[in-house]
Amino acid sequence: MRHWLLTIALALLVLPSPAAARVQVQAYALPPGGGPHDVAVGADGIVWYTAQRSGHLGRLDPASGKVDLVSLGPAAAPHGVIIGPDGAPWVTEGGTNSIVRVDPRTREVKHWPLPGSRGYVNLNTATFDRRGRLWFTGQNGVYGRLDPASGDMQVWDAPRGRGPYGITTTPAGDVYYASLAGSHIARVDVESGAATVIEPPTRDQGARRVWSDSRGRIWVSEWNSGQVSRYDPATGGWQSWKLPGERPRAYAVYVDDQDKVWLSEWSANALVRFDPETERFESFPSERANAHVRQILGRPGEVWAPESGTDRLVVYRTR
Amino acid sequence: MTARALALLVGGAATLGGLAPLRADPAGGERVFQRCMACHSVTAGEVGLPGPNLHGVIGRRAGTAPGFRFSPALVGAGARGLVWTRETLDAYLADPETFIPGTEMGLPPLRSADERRDVIDFLERRTR
Repeated sequence: MRHWLLTIALALLVLPSPAAARVQVQAYALPPGGGPHDVAVGADGIVWYTAQRSGHLGRLDPASGKVDLVSLGPAAAPHGVIIGPDGAPWVTEGGTNSIVRVDPRTREVKHWPLPGSRGYVNLNTATFDRRGRLWFTGQNGVYGRLDPASGDMQVWDAPRGRGPYGITTTPAGDVYYASLAGSHIARVDVESGAATVIEPPTRDQGARRVWSDSRGRIWVSEWNSGQVSRYDPATGGWQSWKLPGERPRAYAVYVDDQDKVWLSEWSANALVRFDPETERFESFPSERANAHVRQILGRPGEVWAPESGTDRLVVYRTR
Repeated sequence: MTARALALLVGGAATLGGLAPLRADPAGGERVFQRCMACHSVTAGEVGLPGPNLHGVIGRRAGTAPGFRFSPALVGAGARGLVWTRETLDAYLADPETFIPGTEMGLPPLRSADERRDVIDFLERRTR
């Protein structure tokens, strides 16, 4: 493990929009060359991120700005990270084609490799169901389940081949994933493992990531169409909204504790907050070019965005 | 575009003595391409994937594959003369963000020269 002591809080920005009164933005510089891809914040406020370019898992203490790096091995190229029910960071580790847990106290790294018969699946993102089992996507056309208690892992072929990308669990425990190449979302039966395709109304929209709101409605960031869409499992209905700007492209989506929807929009190089009640967007442009935010995650009052193109983690504090 | 990219445009392969032939592994190229196949097709005419179709990529000006919306960084690199050759592909795959700052391709650096050679062999074979 390498230690980095960094200058605390390089920037506390004052935004020119009305959102300035309600949202404070703070950027944390990370060790250069890491390319932070995904981020997760635990209940204790500690932030973990995947340094995909350098093959590390990073740990940021926002109170001090101190960053530690945990090496995941010479071949590592970690994509996603989430906090498990055990409080540990769990990683979809694309470089070694394995699921990885890092002990938050000892920093021990444990691998669960995918079955060799599956080949390289291009692991993407993970989520836990309510029984403590980890579900993951592989962009080459699979999704799977790991039971950390038994070590049992199952992998299924995605119904339409390559594409499975973002994945989420609803408050009721249902699991959904998005297929970027397949332009659909799918609901996974967490007992049988069967996936049911659900077609968004916009053709070839490029559903990239998904997140659930407090009512179990599924929000979808659409890369090709530049829309955010909402699927209501109770009615089967869809609604879509185009993000602001010219030819927007929505990469990541996250729904915060107030059911506000956050998206990263690459054409404007901005994070965007959508209020479903007013149907209005607020934009928070990065002050650095090519921020390339590929995922968003938070906890009550905090929304975290890794800027993969600037080696920074940015937090949007909403209260 | 970085100084290295510019050097490749100006000097071509002569600037890359380090690219001497290594042991080729035809099956290895297909295996390495598994890291790319979620976004790229090598089948002529197949569109709709998150990355551009790579059929005919060798010899093509960067950012110009038909039917794909490229990042401003790739379009700019192409406008400045970047053409995909074995050498420029090697440099790009070795570290995409450094070779073309602002590229949106999500591939982490492909550090193994053997793997880069194999996957470029595969692209030459399958997309000409």
